[in-house]
Amino acid sequence: MTRKGLLKSIAAPLLLLLAWATIVPALAVPERYLPALGPILQNARAVSGELLASVAHTGWEAVLGFLLAIVFGVVWGILFAKVGWLERSLFPIFVALQTIPVVAFGAIVVIWFGNTLMAKVFISFFLAFFPIAVSTLHGMRMGDRQRIDLFRSFGASQAKVFRLVELPTALPAIMVGLKTGLSLALVGAIVGEWFGDTVGLGVMLLQALYVEDVLRVWVLIIATGLLGSLLYGLVSLCERKFVWWRIE
Amino acid sequence: MSRLASQAQVLLAIAGALIVWQLVVTVMHVPVFILPTPTLIASHVAGNIAQMLGHLGLTMAETVAGFAIGSLIGALLAILVMQVKPAEALIMPVAVAVSMVPTVAFVPLALIWFGVGMSSKVAIAALAVSFPVLINTLTGLRRPEQAHVNLYRSFGASSLAILWRLRLPAALPSLANGLRVGFARSTVVVIVTEMLGAYAGIGQVIYQATAQMDSTTVWAAVALSSMASLLLYALLVGVLRKTIWWN
Repeated sequence: MTRKGLLKSIAAPLLLLLAWATIVPALAVPERYLPALGPILQNARAVSGELLASVAHTGWEAVLGFLLAIVFGVVWGILFAKVGWLERSLFPIFVALQTIPVVAFGAIVVIWFGNTLMAKVFISFFLAFFPIAVSTLHGMRMGDRQRIDLFRSFGASQAKVFRLVELPTALPAIMVGLKTGLSLALVGAIVGEWFGDTVGLGVMLLQALYVEDVLRVWVLIIATGLLGSLLYGLVSLCERKFVWWRIE
Repeated sequence: MSRLASQAQVLLAIAGALIVWQLVVTVMHVPVFILPTPTLIASHVAGNIAQMLGHLGLTMAETVAGFAIGSLIGALLAILVMQVKPAEALIMPVAVAVSMVPTVAFVPLALIWFGVGMSSKVAIAALAVSFPVLINTLTGLRRPEQAHVNLYRSFGASSLAILWRLRLPAALPSLANGLRVGFARSTVVVIVTEMLGAYAGIGQVIYQATAQMDSTTVWAAVALSSMASLLLYALLVGVLRKTIWWN
């Protein structure tokens, strides 16, 4: 990113915070709807220990689920691309599964695993897996037929064609799937905690809801947003470092 | 391969999976709470069909209402950002900041603001839908090349005429994309919101059944809501394909 772009991407959130800090008190917006930034920060400081532990807990669940989803999703996507009958019979089901409320399966997963770390990791994995698999297949399909034939005609093995043509073509598409999958993994971890846990952002959200603590809800919204942005930033960083090329 | 044959193959795969599921559970004596058989789930749905359909109807009504409102907000915001320069600096940072937060984190806020009734679910679905629609519509509106815009302008077209005749038709396929993504999200968030607080609805059924470890009811609710949202999604895609045939 250029320096100007970086400046711009930092300036917008800062301006937003400034507007929040000044406009809300000036208009005397009722706290129930939008509390001012000051009280929210104070509220956050009061529970800073629990908040940090929760961010780490939920983040860890989401990251583990996400990493599992990358491994299985990419392998499934490549299998789909290579094995015709598998793709024809299962791929439509994969697409369909993306439109159904998969998160409802979270209840079943919690019945299976109980309130363990495994349960949340599995829900995160399950939600993130499908977009990654689908976008991997999509990426594998973008491989230029002529280029692959050229490689084959010079005697390149299947593995070599895969490594030198198909995978590099597919990676930008896979990265798109990773970004979708990442946000879903975070959703899975939070919702998984609603079915019963003692630490985590989902737990804190539930508690804040029961006592109707609007300030705490805003603290948690901001914390969740920051966690999401941090993870998203890490994925973008990896993309910029390792998958910098574009496929037309 | 013909369309019919490939559809047959998919149906075959689904039927095969159901048969394997039924056999494995029966032969290995898997306890019901771990995995009920498909026939047990089906008979559970059939046995409580009136009640189940009532919950499903409510959930789907909330989803469709939220989807409609959210799409409208997203599309209108995109047009506003396109047409009014200062609006972009005002709207986009807020939209991006809100989109960075997973929608489920807003669920408690929606329940506190709008209560346990339908409106909190409609609001949260609208929130989930509006961002993908906004982003996709905006991308579409910006697609026409400057040369085309200049051509229209040189013939004396106003900025509104350019929007109506050039930008909107160019944006519709992309808008349709946003609608598809948005719909898938809206069912999920409605069910999730119902889990945390509702008088009725599929999400509430799932939540109560989980608390009682009644896994047959959970499976029945998941299966029913999945079929319903698949059906609605297919309907949406069909309508979009018919109305927006250019690309």
